[in-house]
Amino acid sequence: MTGAEIVLEALEREGVDRIFGYPGGANLPIYQQLPKYPKLQHVLVRHEQGAAHMADGFARASGRPGVVFATSGPGALNTITGLCTAYMDSVPLVAITGQQNTNLVGRDAFQESDVIGCSMPVTKHNYMVKRVEDIARVIHEAFHIATTGRPGPVLIDICKDVQQASWEPVWPDEIELPGYRPAFAPDLSKLEEAAAALTRAERPVILAGHGVILSGGQEELIEVAEKSVTPTGTTLLGVGAFPVRHPLSLHMTGFMGTGWNLRAVQNADLLMMVGMRVDDRVTAKLSEWAPKVETFIHIDIDPSEMGKNVRPHLEVVADAKTALATMLPQIVPPQPASRRSWLTQIDQWREEHPLKYVRSNGHMQPQDVMIEMYRRCDSDAIVVADVGQNQIWAALWWNYTRPGLFINSGGAGTMGFAFPAAIGAKMARPEKAVWCVAGEGGFVMTAQELSVAVRHRLDVKVVLLNNFSLGMVRQFQDDFYGGVRSEVDLSEMPDFVKLAEAYGLPGICVETVEQIKPAFDLAERTPGPVLIDFRIDPEANVYPIVPLGRGLNDFWELPDEYA
Amino acid sequence: MSTHDGIHRESAGSESRLRVLTAVVEDHPGVLTRVSGMIRRRGFNIQSLSVGPTDAPGRSRLTLTVDAGHAEVDQVQKQLDRLIEVIEVEDLTEMPKLSRELALVKLAVTGPRRDRAVAEVDRFGGRVVDAGREHVIVEVSGEFDRVEGFLEALRPYAVIELARSGPVAMSKEVQQ
Repeated sequence: MTGAEIVLEALEREGVDRIFGYPGGANLPIYQQLPKYPKLQHVLVRHEQGAAHMADGFARASGRPGVVFATSGPGALNTITGLCTAYMDSVPLVAITGQQNTNLVGRDAFQESDVIGCSMPVTKHNYMVKRVEDIARVIHEAFHIATTGRPGPVLIDICKDVQQASWEPVWPDEIELPGYRPAFAPDLSKLEEAAAALTRAERPVILAGHGVILSGGQEELIEVAEKSVTPTGTTLLGVGAFPVRHPLSLHMTGFMGTGWNLRAVQNADLLMMVGMRVDDRVTAKLSEWAPKVETFIHIDIDPSEMGKNVRPHLEVVADAKTALATMLPQIVPPQPASRRSWLTQIDQWREEHPLKYVRSNGHMQPQDVMIEMYRRCDSDAIVVADVGQNQIWAALWWNYTRPGLFINSGGAGTMGFAFPAAIGAKMARPEKAVWCVAGEGGFVMTAQELSVAVRHRLDVKVVLLNNFSLGMVRQFQDDFYGGVRSEVDLSEMPDFVKLAEAYGLPGICVETVEQIKPAFDLAERTPGPVLIDFRIDPEANVYPIVPLGRGLNDFWELPDEYA
Repeated sequence: MSTHDGIHRESAGSESRLRVLTAVVEDHPGVLTRVSGMIRRRGFNIQSLSVGPTDAPGRSRLTLTVDAGHAEVDQVQKQLDRLIEVIEVEDLTEMPKLSRELALVKLAVTGPRRDRAVAEVDRFGGRVVDAGREHVIVEVSGEFDRVEGFLEALRPYAVIELARSGPVAMSKEVQQ
């Protein structure tokens, strides 16, 4: 077999059926062999960043690793932002890039770049393959590393002459990685202690992150919350892990979280953090975060997260699902009376700090669009959001009665993520409705992938929240940078209906609240991709928001006179 | 504002920021880049680093002195441990350990000055490893303070070149 054939057969052996890629000089041997492997369905993207985001959306929606092909030099470098996005959010990807011939590496040959060096800080691991004998082993290891422990992207850079060399591979069964020990059985005694602490606490709160979703621990989370009668919120990446319409839901936490969540976190005496990193967007000013907590419990699969930002009293290194399932039988339900005042207090905060939006200025508001979209989602659709105000509006108005998939670039905050990720998600879960929520600024960063949606007739509906500006940046400039509006005007944008039509899909322009429902009706009736350009209030802001540099207690809300 | 134990209140306390670690790594190309890249990316700083083979084929041992910077000090070990090719890491900072640094010093000394210099070298357990008409090269090995003292003692004697290694270190404990 040639190295290229070994690559493709190895992918089949790993159960891969979908590849997002782009051919070029240094991976042509692989593309030459690709038609011989019909089980590997290849999606030709329009830009390699799109391939990485598609593979990312595919992985998040399916739970299986996404696979990316790119050529050397610029091709591989175009995947870096996508790899970083997956790395920050712990998403399993395997990227296979072509590299110059082994004897040309290091000579600044055509389309040669140090992809190993460039991708090192944004991958869980990477490999340079200079010997055909190594391909089968390396691919097997890469999938193992990408999918086990805390998942993440792995890049394999394969020299072109290695793809062309001949070798009869021995397919490896065993993995020999002496420095990689990802399986942790949770410490039972710690979980017993955690369960007892949860029951004993007077004002407990659970916060759930992406780890709950990645481990498939949503049902276990609900059971633990219910049995221990503990109010439960999520991080931005954890949205969807816990039903928002559950009576114990605190919805989203963090510096754009709900008021009742922030009040609960700031007054809790116990905080159990599950599958999350406790980053700066969760805590805002760290020294003022959760000041009344006497017991921090941290459950995470990555030991390095223990004490990285917050030093827990109880550390449990395990995947969230296993930890929660193991903890569940240890929980002794608290006396109902012992929780009454805490739950009553939270209900009161929920009434005092509801989600509000501007209803009085005659403009269509983004929330008008989100509320109608979520009505149609029926607690089932996959929603993929981009980055910026659209992301927070989509997260805050999420209202599912059961766990669901809300996909966004929470860690890296990559504009342009949503649309290609939605393509990947739809390919992974064709039975699900997929809505892509994006601002016009982020959407045009990867809009060329419209061709892919059209080519594959993908039923992805794009909800463009178009405010003719970089809305989040504009809001920050208004509130935190002296009101100087600097380089945020996006009034020179394409006519999105014509843009859609130019790519071969229908576009709908919506300018009034009355047009929202008919537009959604039309989009849902129309098979294949549809773009709806919602021209929202250009001054719409995200609320609540914690002013930069301040603690969660200081969150701002929309003043009542606008609501 | 409470000051309970759970949270790092901006500064990370008075604990020493310098960590001495030893790591056994796979002897692959690029491993050192991974280690040093991670250290830079996390805001740590390498004070010294030495690399050498171990008794096991395909394995190297690193000895590192790392300033944890603004991070929690245990992060240095934990982040090293996350690297796939790092097989084991020990933080020796608080452990009984042996540490050795090596210094080579070239002195431009002749006559009685040379005799006095060599006497200083003897006093520190060092030795003369090369001698010419105009110079001697001497060496000493020992813990940081001993090497420092040695260099201090030689300062009056026209030091014309100095080469000094970082430490290699080993725990005194016996692990089965």
